[in-house]
Amino acid sequence: MILGRVVGRVWAARQDARLGGAKLLIVRPHGVYEPALPTGHLVAVDDVDAGVGDDVIVALGRPARLAAAKSLGKSLGSSSGAPASDDFPVDAAILGVVDRVELDAAASARPGAAPGIARPLPAITDGARLAPGGRA
Amino acid sequence: MVIGEVVGRLWASRQAASLGGQKLLLVRPLGASGRGARLIVAADALDAGPGDRVLVARGSRVRDLTVGETVAAKDVVVGIVDGASIELGASASIEIGGAP
Repeated sequence: MILGRVVGRVWAARQDARLGGAKLLIVRPHGVYEPALPTGHLVAVDDVDAGVGDDVIVALGRPARLAAAKSLGKSLGSSSGAPASDDFPVDAAILGVVDRVELDAAASARPGAAPGIARPLPAITDGARLAPGGRA
Repeated sequence: MVIGEVVGRLWASRQAASLGGQKLLLVRPLGASGRGARLIVAADALDAGPGDRVLVARGSRVRDLTVGETVAAKDVVVGIVDGASIELGASASIEIGGAP
């Protein structure tokens, strides 16, 4: 699992049917993880009604599918023929909204250790589309 | 998943049989720009095209569920983005498309 902050929302009308209108949030991970994420953001299915600005716990891979199955299965209806719990094409899900984090500043400042969450986060940029205060 | 922009298509006339003639897209993830930016080669399950913003999911299970177990690719387009809203703090934000 990783710790991150919700920075936005995504809407997609054309999508795999098994995503079935899931609430998709954009999360910016705190710090750097191995294996390194290919991007500075990830998109996760929201299972806990998180909002922009919340710090959240995000599961990746199979655990994310199992967690997402609860909300996605509901939206697809639980009638016969509903996909089994691992049958959703997602790879990230928000499992919890974080109330409080305690972090050992000295330990996290060691070279090679995971950066602390107090460290300024790298910005998400999208080339020329990034415009202060609004739309590009 | 990650959001990315389809920046091109990829053809390979000589390819492993395990790719199965799958339509392949080049996707530039949001936040990756300039020289050295890593592009994703993703299998396309939704008929996306250049310029589309897409959701790319990763993993063998995702692959099995979408384009099939026989395809030797692990990144798959599972959604085409209509709109996104990203807050970068009090003074900056990215808007793609519009809210429904």
